[in-house]
Parts: sequence; structure tokens; C-alpha cells
Amino acid sequence: MKIRTMKLREAHKRDDEGESSVCSILWASNGDYIVTASSSDNSICIHTVGSPSNMPKFLRNHREGVTALALSPNSTCLASGSLDHSVKLYKFPGGDFETNITRFTLPIRAVAFNKSGTILAAAGDDEGIKLVNTIDGTIARVLKGHKGSVTSLAFDPKSEYLASLDSDGTVIYWELQSGSTVHVLKAIAPNNGIGFSVLNVLAWSPDGEMLAVPGLKNDVVMYDRDTAEKLFSLRGDHTQPICFLSWSPNGKYMATSGLDRQILIWDVDKKQDIDRQKFTECISCMAWKPHGNALAVIDFMGKYGVWESAVPLTMKSPTEDIPGLHSKNSNGFLLFDEEEEPSASGNLSDLNEDSHGEFEPPSRKRLRKRSNYDDDWEEDCNDELESIPKVGSRKKASYGHKDNLSGKSGSRHMIVTAGSKMQEAFQPGATPAQPGKRHFLCYNMLGSITTMEHDGYSHIEIDFHDTSSGPRVPAMTDYFGFTMASLNESGSVFANPCKGEKNMSTLMYRPFSSWANNSEWSMRLEGEEVRAIALGSAWVAAVTSLNFLRIFTEGGLQRYVLSLDGPVVTAAGYKDELAVVTHSSPSLPTDEQMLEFRVFNIAYGTQPLRGRLPLTPGSCLTWLGFSEEGHLSSFDSKGVLRVFTSQYGGSWLPLFSASKLKKPDENYWVAGLSASKLFCIVCKSPESFPQSTPKPVLTLLDLSFPLACSDLGADSLENEFMMNNMHLSLVQRSIEERAASGHDTTSLDDEAFNLETSLDRCILRLIASCCNGDKLVRATELVKLLSLEKSVRGAIKLVTALKLPSLAERFSSILEEKLLSETSGNTVLPDRKSNCNGSIQHDVASVKLFTAPEISQKSEGVVPSPTHTLPSTSLSSKQNGEEPCKDRHGNNIQCQTTTLGKATDLKTAVKLKADEVHSLGETKAMKVDQLHFSRPSNPFAKSASNQESSSLFDSLKKMKK
Amino acid sequence: MAGASEPQASAFSAAELEFLAEDEMIEIVPNLRMDPLNFISGDFGPFRPQIATQVPLWLAVALKKRGKCTIRAPEWMSVDKLAQVLEAERDSEKFQHLPFHYVEIARLLFDYAREDIPDIYMVRSLIEDIKDVRFHKIGTGLEIISRERTYALRLKNLSAMEANIVRPFVTRALETFYKLSSSEMIQESDHIPNRQPQATNRGPRRQLKDR
Repeated sequence: MKIRTMKLREAHKRDDEGESSVCSILWASNGDYIVTASSSDNSICIHTVGSPSNMPKFLRNHREGVTALALSPNSTCLASGSLDHSVKLYKFPGGDFETNITRFTLPIRAVAFNKSGTILAAAGDDEGIKLVNTIDGTIARVLKGHKGSVTSLAFDPKSEYLASLDSDGTVIYWELQSGSTVHVLKAIAPNNGIGFSVLNVLAWSPDGEMLAVPGLKNDVVMYDRDTAEKLFSLRGDHTQPICFLSWSPNGKYMATSGLDRQILIWDVDKKQDIDRQKFTECISCMAWKPHGNALAVIDFMGKYGVWESAVPLTMKSPTEDIPGLHSKNSNGFLLFDEEEEPSASGNLSDLNEDSHGEFEPPSRKRLRKRSNYDDDWEEDCNDELESIPKVGSRKKASYGHKDNLSGKSGSRHMIVTAGSKMQEAFQPGATPAQPGKRHFLCYNMLGSITTMEHDGYSHIEIDFHDTSSGPRVPAMTDYFGFTMASLNESGSVFANPCKGEKNMSTLMYRPFSSWANNSEWSMRLEGEEVRAIALGSAWVAAVTSLNFLRIFTEGGLQRYVLSLDGPVVTAAGYKDELAVVTHSSPSLPTDEQMLEFRVFNIAYGTQPLRGRLPLTPGSCLTWLGFSEEGHLSSFDSKGVLRVFTSQYGGSWLPLFSASKLKKPDENYWVAGLSASKLFCIVCKSPESFPQSTPKPVLTLLDLSFPLACSDLGADSLENEFMMNNMHLSLVQRSIEERAASGHDTTSLDDEAFNLETSLDRCILRLIASCCNGDKLVRATELVKLLSLEKSVRGAIKLVTALKLPSLAERFSSILEEKLLSETSGNTVLPDRKSNCNGSIQHDVASVKLFTAPEISQKSEGVVPSPTHTLPSTSLSSKQNGEEPCKDRHGNNIQCQTTTLGKATDLKTAVKLKADEVHSLGETKAMKVDQLHFSRPSNPFAKSASNQESSSLFDSLKKMKK
Repeated sequence: MAGASEPQASAFSAAELEFLAEDEMIEIVPNLRMDPLNFISGDFGPFRPQIATQVPLWLAVALKKRGKCTIRAPEWMSVDKLAQVLEAERDSEKFQHLPFHYVEIARLLFDYAREDIPDIYMVRSLIEDIKDVRFHKIGTGLEIISRERTYALRLKNLSAMEANIVRPFVTRALETFYKLSSSEMIQESDHIPNRQPQATNRGPRRQLKDR
């Protein structure tokens, strides 16, 4: 292989001959300017690439040599670190001095901007790395952990980690969000000792998947992004340690400079060097041209130059196919490259001719004819396409992918964009951390827990929405860095993930009021990490990375440890119930998360519910909780709320859909729900979560089924019908439960009756609109669903008024059936007015006689005497199926009195309304009882008859008046 | 205010107007849980922490004084809206639509709910400006009355306070005009009772004959 030489121009003069100085070089993102600096020169030079004859611009703000340079990603801001202990910011390309953004007590060796340019990291001989907010100059964090002086800093392109390297050769991965060390790799890079003539550097690959660090064997070692495992190394012709390395913008190539005074260009995928250049001095720093094929170099003597076509022209351009961290940008780049390519293939660009045109004819490992170029291009394109999935597979599903520090995309948002990855664990009601801002750790219907990081520790505040009744909780300082919290009336629980070896995952519980002192407790989890926490009445639950569900008592007793069968997604607690959602399998390639939920009853030690958690395709779970009535509910990223009901053997009902509201500019951040309302915070797009200040105000949204557009045109009525039905079934179920546990159900009975009447009203309106829409079959179906007899008669009246006699006939036959079935029900149920049979049959006969519409008027007066309610058909069938009840003579007497009383006055219809309530309740109670076969005797028989007698007595009194 | 300085001249004093304005509805965010309140004017509530609800201003102020709620500034009291209104007010002859009691509501909110109004200084100065522009407009508008004979004035979108200020002057002025004009009519009717139409009919004929 031939060695070629390259002429360099002097940029920085050295004070004293012979001693080499660390120099830095940068290329502005538009490629028009090169910035250089030297540790032996207090000036920074901005060279214009197009016109090298122009005098470069000198910035002489530092008092001593400039050791480090960094340009913000959009090239509007230049940062420099110096031996004079200060870090300065300049406008770029103007070079106007802006501010001394931070100062150290010792020289600075490295500065770096994060991807968004909002954070500047600076470090040097001081013990800590400072993360400085570039907007207001506040110090977001000081990262301490390096023993030697820090010589290189690199922000991960995904803004999740910061990697730093010190002069001892130790690499530390820092997690930006928490500021904790993730990995410490000791002495993996050459130890440069105290002398600062040579720096150690490290660099993330542009896709962020690998970290390149100079190795101990004159090589470059690649470390994995998440695990920090050694992936592979680039070893070749360097005979001395590598002092600088630089990734090409697309991550396909790498340039390394060694102390052996040569630069090697590597094809990273093939792990092979493809080109080299020898120099008279060691190269201190290199920078790839952002667009195009060129490498700017500067040596330890302060001489710089541009190596055009550093990557052989037969190979893919170093800027082609820049990894699409920003899909928009990468598109632009690609276009730009195509324009740029011809000039690069022309071998000599303008700059080349003007200044350093004295290349020896380039020698290549693989020489190809120019005529083949186009074919190669195509081949390369194909390779490229194939290589994309490879890159994808290399990506690991990583936890702790919280969000980038810029705070633009929250964790909820991240999950959405994460594609087919398995959704990571989250805490319901938490918002992602934002630097310098307070964010929610927990927000629920009761109150909120907020935190703000400040100088390495956090400040946590607990606020209750109801300031008058909630306990006042003093703010607390958090040295653990809690990222999860949960809150209920009696206490709060916090947990932090583990960070490094020293900082273990901790779970802490703080009761709000306790009779004993010092009743807060904390648990340290060795070798596992808390992923989700939940809080209930007198218990605390934590789900860990080992898939353990740990249940503690309020006092801190370790009560149960269960093993779950999948990684946890989230957990929620309500009174005795704990709901946990886990992954049941990796997500489908169609972007569907495979989640499973289970509900534990902590008090009884049971698991009453378990099943798959439904989600909208392509969405992920964003909220899990219980409604005010205690129904498990979930909300997904597509804005669909689901509530678990026992209907159909336990199923999820979609009760809210953001898309049905047709407000695309609003995002709904759920805080809780009640029986008919969803409590959420409305966020204007693109915000997907609320800020903690000003205090967000909850908005009430109506729950509604996502109904199809019916030809009836009465959507709201249909929805009301569905909602009423659902509520009724919920109430009936809770009545059953209460009755089963022997509690009083009267209040619920009233509620059920009110619901039934409103449901009937709704059905009647629906019948009307059905009749108007000429949907007579549907109207007949609706009539069958009416629960009160009065309503059926109302329906008959209605259709008569609408001049639909055939329908009226049908309705009256339905009524007849109902009455009949009820009579048969009554005959087998002696405690429900068995001796009214005669009159009922009489009534039925009369109904049979008058099938014409006027029956409604005729029979109106007669109706109240036999029955006040019409049990639904299902109820009556249940009654039929069950015939255990024995005749009770005591009841007979009472019932006789009732018939007598009623016979005296036929106009009691209205007055018996109150009576109706009670008797309806009875029916319900009986039904309940019949459902629970386990109970041998009917405990309601007596109370029911008592109730009836009293209510009848009332009605009789009314009649006397 | 004119009304306050000479209460006998205006129908209502400023304090009375403020009292009337207190019946306007406003949105509050309570921080306590309370059952619905049943008043003669209607039922308000239920109150649930952090959930906005509509109550009359007087109730809002009462709750605010006790630290039980934050008042949400009405939509028209935002800087954007007010700037729009001010501009339109300056540009056009007409009065822009503002709540009937905008002066009083703003005053009450500035007094009791300072910290709940975003950009309070800006809002305050904008409202002052709007008030000045409108009062000036009223002043210039009233010159019409003195210039030509007027029996009625139509002032659309006039607010309570503004109406209250101009009321004494305008009503008296109009009354005077009315008296003057009616006295002429009375004189005429005294001369020719019930024969006015004939007289008017005759008038032109006589003129013709004279010519």
C-alpha cells in the first residue's frame, strides 16, 4: 500500500517549539466553516472553507489555551473550554461572545452538546462533569465518579446516556435522566497519566448503538449501548495507541489517528481498514465533513488540513444513509448527498484545487473502473436496503428508555413510537421527567405527587386536590431519585430504579398519619429493580424486574412474595384489590401488545379475575386504574377507555373513544372515572401530558359506547339506552353481591328502580323514533325490553297516537304474555300475592277481550291491583325454573287484605307508585336470592312481606285522606 | 364614576351595579368537596376538587375569600381577546360585544382573584383602555343629540356601567326635547283641535292660491 502525504497549513502558533499541544477541529453542519483551537493558543479560529485566502476569524476571549470545542447540532452556538477554567459560548458563525456559561476550579478538557443543543456537558481536571442548561445557564446536574481528569465526553445520539472517559482509561455510562452511573468500565482505554499531551477520546456511533473507545492493544473497541459489553474491536495497522477517533456521519466508516502518526479509515461493518494517510506529526483531532466525503484534520503542532475523498470514491459515501434518528432530516440529507456526489466523484473539489491539491494518486485496496461506478452504486443501494433490518435487529429492547432530556417527547409518546417493541413499565398518572421542571410522579383523583430535580437530589411535594380534608404533607427532599410513586388517602409509596452497583432500588412508604412515631419504612432490593408500585387499603405492592410481586403491609411487614409470569407493565390498587398488567408474550409484528391483567384481592388472598387485556391495535396501555365504583379500567394510547364488567362472563366494554369526539387537536390524559363521566386533563396537541404548573384542571367527559352510525338517527338515545343497560347490570350485580354477603340493599334497590324507570323512558323515546323511522320490528323488540308495565301501556298509547294499530295489537299481545308469565311466576311464588291470581286472570281475560287499542284505557284501572311491576322475561323464567318456595299462611292473610283494599278503590294507580318502589325492590331481592342457591331459606321473605304490608298500609292511609 | 359622585342623578350607584353584576355566572375550580347548594337562584354544584363548575360571581368571590377555590378568568378576559376588542373598538363606530357587566366583573376579579388571572397587568390596562375608548365614543356620540332633534337613542352593546353614566344626561336631554316638541304640538292642537289633518291639507292649497 502506498503512503501519501498531505500538506497542512498552520492555524495556531505554538508558544514554545517542540512541545506538542492538544488541538481540536470542528466542521460546521453546513460544511462552510472549520473551527480550530489549540491548547497552546488562546484563540479560536473560524476558517471559511470556500475561500481559504480570507483571513480566518479569531476569537480571543480565553486567557489561556483552548482545549475543547463543541458546536451545537444546528451550528448556531459554539462552546469552548479552556485551561483558564472557563467554558464560553459564542454565536456561530458570527463568533460573537455570548456568555461564560460555567466555570471550573481546574482546566477544562472536554465539552459536548447533546443532540438538541439544550444541554452542554463540560468536564476536565475537576472531579465532576457539569451538565449545563444552555438556555439559562443553570447547572442541571453534576456527575461525580471519575478519579482521573475527564478527557472526553459524548452524548448518546438518543439523548439517553452520556459517556465519559478519563485519563486513567475508565469509561462511565451515565443515565441522563437520573444522573446515575449505569456502567463503569475500568481501565479499558490507554492510561495517559498526568501528561495532557495526548487525550483519550470516545464516540458514539451515529445510530447510538455502539460506543467506540480506544483500546489497550492499539485498537478501537466497540461497546454495546445498553449492556456495555464488548462487541468487537478494530485492529489493524496502528502500531501505537490510538489518540483520536471519529465516526463518519453515516456510521459506516471510522477515522482513527494513532500516535504512530497515521490516520486509518475503517469500514466498521467489515471491521477492516480501507485507507490510510501518513503525516509528519500525530493528528490530534479529526472531523468529517457533514455533507460530502472529506475529513478535516489537525495535528499536535496546530496545523490543519482537509483530506478530500477520505473514503475511496468507489465506496459508499461517508454521509450516505445517515441513520434516521430524525426521519425528516435524513430525507433532506439524502437529497443533498445526491447533489454532492458528482463533485466528490470528480475527485477534486474547489477547495482541493485551491489549497492542498498535492495528493499523490490515491491508492485503493480495491481499484475499480469508473465505468463500474454506476453499477456499484446500485449494488450499494441494495446493500443498504438489506442492511436496514440488520440494524433493526441489533437494537435491543431496552428498559429505562424513558425519554430524551429535551422533554419534547414524553415517555407515553416514546412508547407509541417504539413500534413493535414491548411496551415498558410505567406508573399510571405519571408524566415524563423534564429538566428544570416539576413533573408528576403520580396524579389521581385524590391528589398529586410532583418532583423536581435540583443539584443531584429531588424535591418532592404531595398535594391533595381537596385542601380542606386532605392531610397536609410536608415537602420532602429525595436523595434516592424516586421515579415512581403512588398515593392514596392514608399514605404514599415511592420507588426508584437501581442505578449502578451502589445505588440499589429502594421502596419507601410514608403514611400520612400514624399513632406511632417513625412509621415510615423503606426496603432495599438487592439484585432486582422495582418496576411498578401500587397502594391499597393497608397494603403496598411492588412488582420487580425479577417478575416478583411483593406485597407489604402498611407497617412494612413483608407479607407475600408471588411470582408473576411476565414482565410487568403497570399496577394499580383500590381498597383490597390490586390489578397488575403484565406482558404475556412479545408484541405481535402488527404492533399489538400482548398484555394480560389479573386482579388480586389482598385481604382474602384470592385472584378473582385474570385475563387478556384488550388494546386498540397499534396502541399501548397508558393508564390503568379503578373507577370510583371500583371497576377496573384501562386507557390506551389511541384514546379508548375500557371498563371491565362481569357481563358475558367478564369482558371489557369500550366506554370512551377519543376518536369519536372528533377533536384531533386534543389529547386526553386520564386521571380517573366515575359511573358516567371520565375525568381527564385535556392537553392541546402535540402535548400528550399536562405540566404540573399551573395546576391542571380536570375536564369531565361523558362516557359513551363507540356505536355504529345507525339508520335510526337517534345516536344519543341509543347510547343512553346502552349506558343505562350497563349501569343497571352493574347495579344489579352489586345488589347480588351485597345480598350474598348479607348487607342491606335498599339504597341500591332504589337506585336500580330509578335506573329502570329512566331506561324505560329512554326506550319509549327510542320506540317513538323507531316508529317515526318505520322500524316496527325494532320497536317491538324494544317493547319487550320495557321493565315496568306502565311503560308498556305507555308504549301502546304512543303507537295508537302514531296511528299504528297493528303495532298496538302486537304490543298488547306482548303485554299479555308478560302478564301471563308473571301470573305463572306468581303462582309458584306464594309470598308474592298468590291469591291475587283470580283477579289477574280476570284482568288477562279482559285483555284478551279487548285487543283493540282502547284496551289501554280500560285496563289501566285494573292493572294496579294484580301487580305493580312487570318483571323482565328473564326474571320470570328464573322464577319459573325455581319452585322451592312454600306457601306462607301469614302472607296470605295480608295479601287478602291488600286485595280487599284495592278492590275498594280502583283509582289507586298513582298512589301506589311509592308501593311500586318497594315491591320492585322485593322482586329484585328475590331474584338475587334465587340466584344464590346455596342459601337454604329465603331471608327476604319475611322482611319483604313486612315491607309490603307497611307500604300497603301507607297507600291505604293515603286513600282514606 | 359619575354615578358614584352624584348618586341622586343616576338610577344606580356603582355599588348597586356591582351587586347586580354579582349574579353573573363564572367558572371556578373548587379545592374542596361539597354537596350541591340549593339557592333561590338555582342549584349550584356539586363541588369536587379540581373540577371546574359554574357558580354566580358572588358565590365565587365568597369561596375565593375563604381560599376554597380558584376563579377561572372568563374567556373574554384573556389578553388576546381584549386586544382584539380594543382594536375593533378603535377602528369601528360601533360598540364591540362585551358582557353587560364587564366593568364590574373585571373590577371584582381584580379585587379578589388577582392571582387567578393570567397577565393581570396587561389585562387590567387593556380593560382600562377599552373603557376609555368606549366612554370617549359615547361622549362624541352624544353630541348628535344636541346637534339635531332626537327622540330616541339606540346604543347597541352598551354595558351596564356605561348606560348608567349616560342615563341621567341622556334621559333628561331627551325629556327636554320631548317637552319642547310636545309643547309646540300642544299649542297647535289648542288652536285647531281635531282639525289638524284638514289644516295640513289646506296648507299647500293656500300656498298654491297665493302663488
